[in-house]
Amino acid sequence: MLDRFRFVPLRLLQSIPVIFGVTVVVFFMVHLLPGNPALAILGQTATPARVASLSHQLGLDKPLWDQYLLFLGHLVQGNLGTSITYQRPVSELVLQAVPITMSLLLFALVLALVISVPLAAVAASAPGRARDLAVRAFTLVGQGMPQFWVGIMLILLLAVKAKAFPVGGYGESALEHWYYLFLPALTLAIAMCPTIIRSLRASTINVLGSDYVGTARSKGAAGVALFRLHVVRNAAIPTVSIIGVNLGYLVGGSLVIERVFAVPGLGSLMINAIFARDFPTIQAVALVVALFVIVVGILTDVVYTAIDPRVDLGSRELA
Amino acid sequence: MTTAVVRASRAMRRPARSRALRPWYRNGILVAGIVIVGLLVLVAVFAPLLSPYDPITQDLNHTLEAPGAHHWLGTDKYGRDVLTRLLYGARIDLRVGFLAVLIPFVVGSVLGALAGYFGGWFDAIVMRIVDVFFAFPFYVLVIVLVFVLGAGESSIYLAIAAVSWVSYAKIMRGELLVAKKQDWVVAARLGGMSHARVLMRHIGPNVLSQALIYAMSDIVMDIMAIVTLGYLGLGIAPPTPEWGSMILDGQEFITTQWAQATIPGLAVVLTSLGLSFLGDGLSDLLTPERRR
Amino acid sequence: MTRSTRLRFTGIAAVATVALAACGGAAGSRASGSSAPVDGGDLTIARAQDIISMDKTTTFDNNSIYVMEQIMEPLFTVSADGTKVEPYLATDYTVSADKLTYTIKLRKGVTFSDGKPLTAADVKFSIDEDTKTGGDGWGFINTAIDQVKAVDDSTVEVKLKYAWAPLLADLSLFSNGIVPNNYGGKTAQEFYQAPVGTGPFVWDRWQKGQYVKVTANKKYWSPKKPHLASVTWTVVPDANTRKLQLQGGQIDVDDTPDWSSFSSMKNAPGINAQTFPSTRMDYISLNQQRQPFQDVHVRRAIAYALDRNAMVKAVLYGNGTPATSLLSPGTPFFDKNAGGATYDVAKAKQELAQSSVPQGFSTSLLIASGNPDQASVAQIMQSELKAIGIDLKITQLDPTANKQARLKSDFDMAMQAWTMDIPDPDEWTSFAVDPAGGSHSSFTYYNNPAVIALNKQAQTEIDNTKRADLYSQLQKTTSEDAYLTYLYYSPYVFAMTDKVKGFAVTPLGNYHLEDVYKAK
Repeated sequence: MLDRFRFVPLRLLQSIPVIFGVTVVVFFMVHLLPGNPALAILGQTATPARVASLSHQLGLDKPLWDQYLLFLGHLVQGNLGTSITYQRPVSELVLQAVPITMSLLLFALVLALVISVPLAAVAASAPGRARDLAVRAFTLVGQGMPQFWVGIMLILLLAVKAKAFPVGGYGESALEHWYYLFLPALTLAIAMCPTIIRSLRASTINVLGSDYVGTARSKGAAGVALFRLHVVRNAAIPTVSIIGVNLGYLVGGSLVIERVFAVPGLGSLMINAIFARDFPTIQAVALVVALFVIVVGILTDVVYTAIDPRVDLGSRELA
Repeated sequence: MTTAVVRASRAMRRPARSRALRPWYRNGILVAGIVIVGLLVLVAVFAPLLSPYDPITQDLNHTLEAPGAHHWLGTDKYGRDVLTRLLYGARIDLRVGFLAVLIPFVVGSVLGALAGYFGGWFDAIVMRIVDVFFAFPFYVLVIVLVFVLGAGESSIYLAIAAVSWVSYAKIMRGELLVAKKQDWVVAARLGGMSHARVLMRHIGPNVLSQALIYAMSDIVMDIMAIVTLGYLGLGIAPPTPEWGSMILDGQEFITTQWAQATIPGLAVVLTSLGLSFLGDGLSDLLTPERRR
Repeated sequence: MTRSTRLRFTGIAAVATVALAACGGAAGSRASGSSAPVDGGDLTIARAQDIISMDKTTTFDNNSIYVMEQIMEPLFTVSADGTKVEPYLATDYTVSADKLTYTIKLRKGVTFSDGKPLTAADVKFSIDEDTKTGGDGWGFINTAIDQVKAVDDSTVEVKLKYAWAPLLADLSLFSNGIVPNNYGGKTAQEFYQAPVGTGPFVWDRWQKGQYVKVTANKKYWSPKKPHLASVTWTVVPDANTRKLQLQGGQIDVDDTPDWSSFSSMKNAPGINAQTFPSTRMDYISLNQQRQPFQDVHVRRAIAYALDRNAMVKAVLYGNGTPATSLLSPGTPFFDKNAGGATYDVAKAKQELAQSSVPQGFSTSLLIASGNPDQASVAQIMQSELKAIGIDLKITQLDPTANKQARLKSDFDMAMQAWTMDIPDPDEWTSFAVDPAGGSHSSFTYYNNPAVIALNKQAQTEIDNTKRADLYSQLQKTTSEDAYLTYLYYSPYVFAMTDKVKGFAVTPLGNYHLEDVYKAK
């Protein structure tokens, strides 16, 4: 059984060159940004002479290659560098923002599943009928809505008109955090739903039409019991990959959504850092996000392997 | 990750059902897609004939008017007709959406096809690069790149191209891996045909359909990206009418004139609906054996 | 840099001394609330950006400065109308006959929030720390200071290298705010993580990217102040979100709402949308290294072609005035007859006809992306310049890239704004007209020897009447040259719930929260 997970160390090994590539892309892309932090730090009184002096003090006039090696050297020691804007370790800033973005994503995922699973089941129970078409129409519309626009609409309806939720922010206590995160999470969930529903619906129809469900039916399993026992597990398998792939996309989406709702997560941190040209912080956030995507990719395959006894990724990839 | 995506894209395809091959016009979804997208294109092309107003000329004496007989959707804060800007906005968003797909489609497909066909070290290098780019969420790269390149139309093309070529490369590589083992391909090679000819004559047309279908959904994603960039103030420079910046402008008045932010959003929804239909219909048409 | 900053403050001398004489020694009170203040409560102010640092010596960011001013106080402070200097932690001072030695008496009974009394040693240390940063921080402000000496516990002696009248104005800058000697035994970096001062509020905590919070200083030297129990500045980047939060009672103050929100909140029940005079001017730099801007007729044509009243109406929703001079009305020596161009299409066409490009030309305007005001101005300019045959392309760059382009003079036309840090025109004029100021005359490469000479004369002229005359001439000539296109003067705007009382902002942008309270 555990044999089937032997692909994990290999995949981890394979991600080392990828992570290395990510550092190259991140570093050079960030340093291609026009302007430097000194410009942002010195307000309206900035003159070329003062900018040059501060750049020198910040070590920004060293050759790019040296700066990259320095960055890489620190990184190997687990040091993400020092924020130029705040003059504090970047890790401190990132560690503060990561839990917020992760809670937002997790919350969104839960909401997405709460919405998607029943809808997909309803649709799959009668393919081609009105309720199926209604659900499919919902997914198509959902897919076509820009996320930030959904956010604005939710603010308009649920915060401004209904006054049920705060307009934005993060609150102070743990309970407040979840309350404040509801609307942004719902926004992201709405973006996630269409793909999940489509996948779940298709695979459920597929499973319902397959031989073993027929067998189970003939053996007397029926209705909810049948659904729970056989269909859910098998239909969930492809959906796991879909969610895995989508989480990466969602991290990107949360960047925009955090701005709309003033959520102080990784997205806000990164956008502010871009405006301030706080190179180490942008690098760190991009790196953390990329690592997250890589890890989610591997985790997806682990979960996939765990729930589907037929899958053996190791043998296929090693072949 | 490679495997996950390929599996994912396969899982999205619907199970085969007993539906006989029909002529395209009997395919309801495809027709709906063609009608919606066709209408939008017509609106975009004939926008000047459809509206008596200019989308850019300001009328500072008639700002923020409510919808009425003269201005069906009212005027914005510069006194420009909102409906007119909406119609002209179709020009920008559709054009940029379609054009933005071209570069990644070509570059990604070619690289992916070559990688899949030749395999070996070339494949390894291309796929590692793909993995690196794939590790960044779409918006993270696009936003940073637009900052690097500066706001504007050409930056949008470049930023989107840099990010989305990887998907095409993955799809084409996957298709090629399957196709090159097909009997007729093997036969053609044994018959002395050059690699180039095999790729161009035999494999290309057969495997391109998947990339094409993906391109339809990719246009939707690109239009979303353009609108989002417009919303972040990183998009097409004002005063060019563009739906995203219209939403941004309208958001200021959301409590008093909610339509200003809502309507351009609905235009985006309609556009992507049309494109999704088109994509689904094309997928039915081009790959009947994989019909959902 | 040193030279121009040294000259920078000469002018303020007269103003500062006059003001001090008038004020005697009383602490300035700014409270504008009428009924008896209520104690307690938290004031939440939402702003677009977070603070960056509490290091008073090297921070140029206003959001940070307005917070640190609640914690660390200088010896002198700027008056409510922004034109004078008043004693603060100091009560009195004397100047030696050679004008080289200032002996300053410290206020009695002042303690730091940690309970330690304020002494002359703390003052010496604080000023020396600022001086040390030189050109990389605010140290250039103290260039004239030779040394600071603690005579006894409550007396400080400041020795100057040369006669330097603006000294008190320099000492009123936040960068010369007073902190405990030796940072209370900490390193500078440790200290500024949680700064200690004599101010009305005490550093509490900073959740980066979310909020920064200060609480009332129970040992504050001014009796019965502060009224508030705490102040929280939250970070809300989106102006619309801030407005909705204010209307929903989630926050008390919306710092700088956008103009449309502001105008819509003016009549909203329960909300007090207020303007405060500022020294801000928005203007267009015309790059004379690019064609055809070295032609004065072209520059004048542009100046005449713009309907500034329409701009004020459309962009500021009426909350501002068309700009007519290089100086703003809130700046000393502003001349209201400076002759800045007003809207006149016929004259614009006439000027263009006389120019090197009578048929018009194509050019571009650089603005900051994500700035709705600049986008509005640009769009209005585009349609107005089109009327006289100038084809304007709008280029957007994000604020930092935009600044970079301006510093390299890599633009045709660029929209900019200026606000004063000190109550004297010289800070701005040296930046704007003297190529030696380091900015190539606000990046335009404008170089009029007559104007430069006027500016230099004004820097060294102590007599106020003569100085006013020099600045008048300077304003008139620059208007004729039309080397900058003046757009408009705009005030500071804050929207707050009507429970917030006593909130006032000086023309230099700072506010004193010890006077603020929240009515029940």
